[in-house]
Amino acid sequence: MLLTDSETARDADLLAARLSPRRRPGQWVAAAVILVLFAMFVHTLIANPRFQWDVVARYFLRIDILGGLGLTLWLTAAVLVCGYLLGIVLAVLRLSGNVILRSLSFGYVWLVRSVPPLVQLLFWYELASLYPRLSLGIPFGPEFLSFNTAHLFNGVLAAFIALTIDVAAFSAEIVRGGILSVDAGQTEAANALGLSRARILRRIVLPQAMPAIIPASGNMLIGMLKATSIVSVIAVQDLLYSVQLVYNQNYLIMPLLLVATIWYIVLTTLLSIGQYYIERHYVRGRGRRARGLLQLARENLPLFGRLRTDLARLS
Amino acid sequence: MSGPLVRIRSLRKGFGARPVLDGIDLDVVEGEVAVLLGPSGAGKSTLLRCVNHLEKPDAGFVEIGGELIGYRYRRGALHELGPKAIAAQRSRIGMVFQQFNLFGQFTVLENLIEAPIAHGGGREPAVAHARELLDRVGLAGRENAYPRELSGGQQQRVAIARAMAMRPRLLLFDEPTSALDPELVGEVLAVLKDLADSGMAMIVVTHEMGFAREVADTTVFLDAGRILEAGPPAETLANPRHERARAFLAAVR
Repeated sequence: MLLTDSETARDADLLAARLSPRRRPGQWVAAAVILVLFAMFVHTLIANPRFQWDVVARYFLRIDILGGLGLTLWLTAAVLVCGYLLGIVLAVLRLSGNVILRSLSFGYVWLVRSVPPLVQLLFWYELASLYPRLSLGIPFGPEFLSFNTAHLFNGVLAAFIALTIDVAAFSAEIVRGGILSVDAGQTEAANALGLSRARILRRIVLPQAMPAIIPASGNMLIGMLKATSIVSVIAVQDLLYSVQLVYNQNYLIMPLLLVATIWYIVLTTLLSIGQYYIERHYVRGRGRRARGLLQLARENLPLFGRLRTDLARLS
Repeated sequence: MSGPLVRIRSLRKGFGARPVLDGIDLDVVEGEVAVLLGPSGAGKSTLLRCVNHLEKPDAGFVEIGGELIGYRYRRGALHELGPKAIAAQRSRIGMVFQQFNLFGQFTVLENLIEAPIAHGGGREPAVAHARELLDRVGLAGRENAYPRELSGGQQQRVAIARAMAMRPRLLLFDEPTSALDPELVGEVLAVLKDLADSGMAMIVVTHEMGFAREVADTTVFLDAGRILEAGPPAETLANPRHERARAFLAAVR
């Protein structure tokens, strides 16, 4: 079939035509509304004198606040390390062939997850009223050593124990899920090579479970960092309790709460960055390309360093 | 050494009420290649896994080089060995799996040296031996690749090299080519043939009849947990005596 002149002319027009993407006015409107709301939020932070930013600045680096910050940090770290070690043990028990060990782990997780952490904290703090004396000896037999519980369990120790027990229960479930996500063939191949059970767990299974464990753990770590603030109810001088001590004297409640809030935000941000690097370490061999932190920020914060492409996409 | 390398006697194994191995007797001598054939569910893989105690038999025993596998005989009873002793026995038996099961977080080289280092051999000799083995399976130069970066055939050849890393006296292959694309089967079978020619004793579960015909010293036909036929491939494959074996061979040919 021969093309007519008019058809060829039309084809030429189509080939020369500019591609015009569909307009999305709704996205422009939504973006404008959000930007206005954001501007209002920033404005009120600056313009409302009752935020008292000068007070925030004055107290931000004060020595007793930094002391509270230090306690929050090391309590979080100690609870996390001990809680996870206990959690790994519980996860392994839960996956063992021994029904008693499995039930023990299950029962522990069930009980601890059922009780609010604040209640657990008060329970350990008040343990002396339940067991005034603790002693070391043979069960039902003679005792060698004994302590007055009230002296043993000060606020910090009670906080450490209660939070560790809580973290262990939750991390046990996270670790168990991670271990189950590793293909059974890996354990089988390791067994066939004659590796010991401890080595199989440490070298083969846990490293491959890490990609499944880390995101949930990062979540829990950040939750734990903030949950340490409940220790303020038993007068442990963490970050929150330190600012409470100050505002109980000078009644500058809001600015001092802002001091604590900003510190929590700073710590959480640092932890998120740390989590990112640990995650990146464990993707090796998984065929995924590791991305830089800057690139990650660009992907998640739309206006970060690429305003023009983002605006172009909106239009 | 006198007597066969592997002696399997009256081996029984059931999962629940279902018997999977129903009294297996089998000998494999040094340097012999035994190929296990049979329909799926016949118990081939279970038999293979009993040889290195990945499955515990319900009755009967396996002996390799005169050593009982997984048990110790004392005063009329077979006592199961501790995990360390079993691990030591397994380390002298290489095993290759259908799904390769390479350790994904390790490079090729790390996969090969993990077991030798774990057994206290030291890193230097382990690395040197690993390089020799990689050269032998045609993968010299891929030491630092991760398993996922390799084709299925290459992964399986790494898995074979890994199984060789502890200098085993016996290699077990559980359908080594069944998870491979057809064009990659040949390169893996070539490695198996090379190992067989070098005098390595092997027990191979496979559906590759050509391999069985060409490389096997003995073909063993299993059905419903029993050995129906065992003998040189020229006899068992050409003139099977049992109807079940004839039907199976006609179907896979």
